[in-house]
Amino acid sequence: MKTREQFQKEMNKLGRIGILITLILLFSVPLIFGIYHNAIPTFKDFILAASGLLVLFVPIAISEVFIYTPIFGSATYITFITGNIMNLKVPIAQNAQELMETTKGTDESDVITTLAISVSAIITIIFIALGVILLVPLEPIMTSDAISTASSYVLPALFGALVIGLLKSTGEIRVKGKVKAGIIPFIVLFLVNIFVMNTYDYSGILLIVMIPFTVFIAWILYKKEKITIEIIEKEEK
Amino acid sequence: MDDTFFGIVNSGLLYLLVGIVIVFVVLLSLLFAKKAWNRALELGYTKAQLKKVIKSTSIATIVPSLAIVIGLFALAPVLGNAWPWLRLSVIGSVTYELMAADMASSSMGVALTDLPTVGIDAFVNIMFVMTVGISAGMFVLLFFGEKIQKGIGSMGKNRKSFGVVALECFMIGLLATFLPAFFTKGVVSVLTFFTSSVITITMGLIVLKYNIKWLKDFILAFALIGGMASSVLWTGLLG
Repeated sequence: MKTREQFQKEMNKLGRIGILITLILLFSVPLIFGIYHNAIPTFKDFILAASGLLVLFVPIAISEVFIYTPIFGSATYITFITGNIMNLKVPIAQNAQELMETTKGTDESDVITTLAISVSAIITIIFIALGVILLVPLEPIMTSDAISTASSYVLPALFGALVIGLLKSTGEIRVKGKVKAGIIPFIVLFLVNIFVMNTYDYSGILLIVMIPFTVFIAWILYKKEKITIEIIEKEEK
Repeated sequence: MDDTFFGIVNSGLLYLLVGIVIVFVVLLSLLFAKKAWNRALELGYTKAQLKKVIKSTSIATIVPSLAIVIGLFALAPVLGNAWPWLRLSVIGSVTYELMAADMASSSMGVALTDLPTVGIDAFVNIMFVMTVGISAGMFVLLFFGEKIQKGIGSMGKNRKSFGVVALECFMIGLLATFLPAFFTKGVVSVLTFFTSSVITITMGLIVLKYNIKWLKDFILAFALIGGMASSVLWTGLLG
């Protein structure tokens, strides 16, 4: 049997080669299409169109790597390659970990998450392909008021379904009192939302601050033994 | 050949280029799935358990995937079918792509909805901008992924260290960021959130009380469908 290090090394290698090829292929699409139609933008035009977006999204995209790698482990590469992280991959990882009652950071959790994320990615790609094929016949349904209302509430519905699972620990290592770490960050942001502005559209940027803040509070509470680690006897898998 | 804007952006060439990327990503996902499957068997999971994970994942994926497909319907009238197909299938996310396309075109002084009237040059520029914007994280992963992974691996290794607490608190931090925004965004958001929670709790209790284990696989899917369907009801009732 491979050791944890061997398996992770193998997954890292596969992931990095995968990312490299994906990036080359991705950039080839506008490049070949642009050359064929003699429509390659000048650098000035590109910067003009890109600057606002890059200032906003590059820091988010970089910080997302640090935020989500602990959640996805070996599945990080395939998660990033197939995207839709918050609105699909996070709940799928959580669902699979809960189903198999794994502890975060263990080999078991890592491998179950990777399996779930890969399967989920394939299914989503199939669905989008079906959407493209059936674009015309499906349009009246998909653009109806009810469907567009429902789809704009996908995140509250997802979080509502996940919150219970996220608040309890599964697996053999239980972190007792972890919810306490979230109380102060929650209250601070709640006040910001009431008195300053709704932060819904800025959640991506806020995560860069809020996650380290939560971990910092967890560290203080851990030192004060308000958050403790409990190891449960391993049940049959 | 159709030389209109939509003729060009829905051309065979673009479908072919997009198709190649998507087929590669599907093959890569299959390879990841196979490696994880084999490793899970090595770790002592049974095939039946892994099939259960696949089944539950598949069911839970359907509803959020439909929401992504709806994003396709929003992008296709301005960007054609092929490009949004790629952007939503590889790296992208439904919220990012809509915003990115809109920001890129307005930076060029063009409303996104007017793009078809401006011409193909602006379209290709938007393709580049959207690709560069979404790729930043991929470059970080490419160069530093292994280092970050190793750091995380060592966090979870010592079962009694703060690293274990920190890993668990990432998700708590995620909740602490999103929940205040949902709770103050509007009544429909709050009610949708709670409807979904109530369905999850109720189904969880039914699984425990009547020992219906198969039902556990469907909890996330039912809670999502129920929650999203309820948002239509709440919007209708409350305006």
